[in-house]
Amino acid sequence: MRSEERNEALWKFGSYIFLLTIVVLVMIPLYWMIVAATIPQSEFFTWPPRLLPGFEWFSNFQALQENVDFVRSMGNSIIISVSYTALSLVLCSMAGFAFAKYEFRFKEPLFYFILATLVLPIQLLIIPLFLLITQLGWTNSYLAVILPWAANPLGIFLMRQNMKAIPDSLLESARMDGATEFQLYYKIALPTMLPSLAALSIILFLNQWQAFLYPLVVLQDPQMYTIPLALADLVGAQRVYFDQIMVATSLAVTPIFVVFLTMQQYFIKGILSGSVKQ
Amino acid sequence: MATIDITNLRKEFGDDGEQIVAVDDVNLEIEDGEFLVFVGPSGCGKTTTLRCVAGLEDVTDGSIEFDGNDVTDQRARDRDVAMVFQNYALYPHMTVRKNIGFPLRLSTKQSTEAINERVEEVAEMLGIEELLGDQPKELSGGQQQRVALGRAIIRDPEVFLMDEPLSNLDAKLRSTMRTELQELQSELGVTTCYVTHDQTEAMAMGDRIAVLNEGELQQVGTASDVYRSPTNEFVAGFIGSPSINTFTAEVEGATLHGPGGFEYTFDDPSVLEGHDRIRVGIRPEDMRLDADGGMPGLVTVVEEMGNENFLYATMGEIDLTARVESKMHPDEGMSVDFGFDEEDIYLFDIDTQQSVKTKTSETDVDYRQFVAND
Repeated sequence: MRSEERNEALWKFGSYIFLLTIVVLVMIPLYWMIVAATIPQSEFFTWPPRLLPGFEWFSNFQALQENVDFVRSMGNSIIISVSYTALSLVLCSMAGFAFAKYEFRFKEPLFYFILATLVLPIQLLIIPLFLLITQLGWTNSYLAVILPWAANPLGIFLMRQNMKAIPDSLLESARMDGATEFQLYYKIALPTMLPSLAALSIILFLNQWQAFLYPLVVLQDPQMYTIPLALADLVGAQRVYFDQIMVATSLAVTPIFVVFLTMQQYFIKGILSGSVKQ
Repeated sequence: MATIDITNLRKEFGDDGEQIVAVDDVNLEIEDGEFLVFVGPSGCGKTTTLRCVAGLEDVTDGSIEFDGNDVTDQRARDRDVAMVFQNYALYPHMTVRKNIGFPLRLSTKQSTEAINERVEEVAEMLGIEELLGDQPKELSGGQQQRVALGRAIIRDPEVFLMDEPLSNLDAKLRSTMRTELQELQSELGVTTCYVTHDQTEAMAMGDRIAVLNEGELQQVGTASDVYRSPTNEFVAGFIGSPSINTFTAEVEGATLHGPGGFEYTFDDPSVLEGHDRIRVGIRPEDMRLDADGGMPGLVTVVEEMGNENFLYATMGEIDLTARVESKMHPDEGMSVDFGFDEEDIYLFDIDTQQSVKTKTSETDVDYRQFVAND
């Protein structure tokens, strides 16, 4: 018994050491980002390296703002990401509800066709999309970035899986009570799906927040740049503005931290909720 | 309140390749204010019939009328019916108040105050006024049941439909709720269709009982009708607890010869005319221990129920059940004889299973003899 307890204690100790190591390794780049954002670039490559934050954050930010109008880029990113997330949530939840709770011709082939589009790499779609956006006159506009990806196949899949768990009797009861089909979706299905919607909103927001390749193609005006595009502008052929990049990055990850920290409980619940048959 | 006329109702499921007939040519007239119970084994079509009346299933053929108005093609929300589901179907994200008031918010232009007033009225009727602020997950099964009832009542519908609403409750609560439901229905006077697989519940609750099997309506009648005068062997076997004892007997003149040495001679053999072999049925409660009974049995199990005993016996290859007084306690393994009266014998055609003879004794009692005289 004593040797079992000792083995268990050793196992626990080893696990904690391992986990602590992982945490430290993950946190080092984040900590370095904060330190680097607050020191002048001249001190980046000193040895031994600076371990404590400095006081240069505001001067670095000023330089960043003069270089790429970062505030504008952040505004563009917020507008695009929030609008995209809201629109995509509506479309994906509606499509998911239809696939989960209604019978119509070609339902299954249509669903699998939508899922199949997940395997298409973005590189395959960029040129035809760019041509379409140009013909529509949408280049350098928010629409160009938001609309093409609004009906997200992964979002439709997640919503469909989660909405399958809604008991049919709940919807039938609402029909008997006088609800229209839209009211079934809006008043009954959506409120029961809040954790799943929260989880999906994080995924959608993140996807759009850090999108680079496609916005690079359709947004040529620097005034319309999102954060990733603005950051790319700081990497020149002859000079890399590390200090400004770090300031920009520290600002860029802050909304992500806030969103994820406030909604992480829904994220876990939402990802798992459609996985077990009720 | 409304009459319901179901005419030649047929419901099929499945694609062109494989059709399943869930309801086959059901004809039924339900009177205004009547409490009609659909009963039958699982898969017999009772819930499908109810759902067709509700408008939750499209009808393959036939028609459904409320007070002479054809509602066959009307959507569920347009039919003025309220339904209580087996799992109650309470909206989990709404409080009890909002659950009960939901139908009024959807279908009327009443103010919030008016709706709340009506909600409180209904909640008081059901004894759940203190639960109005709770969520469904905080309620017990019986409380959820009452909330589901409240949501149905508040609309003042023409018809109540109930799909096994008591099946998720424990036995004691089920018995209590059964009485409450009957009282409520009697008070409100709403035409009610009730589905259950429990024949005891059906017998206890319904003004009339509709027995279904394999999608077909077997018999409609009062509890007494279906118990005493079943139209066929299925109804006789389904109604009554414990189930009726049945076996095949050879007919020789006025005498029946059955398995295990069973022998009985009819005083009135006219019922046996035209039959060489016949199916015989005797209810457990009509059997008694009788040395000259003519129905030999070997006792295998004795169940003491307190107020009575159930004797399980074999007669040849046939298993028998008898319900006897609690003081009758033969030993297991003992050979006994059971007796019964001719009027309690059921006979069924061996080919069609239709009834040839049912119970014939008088049942009506002049209750006035029990009224106290001042």
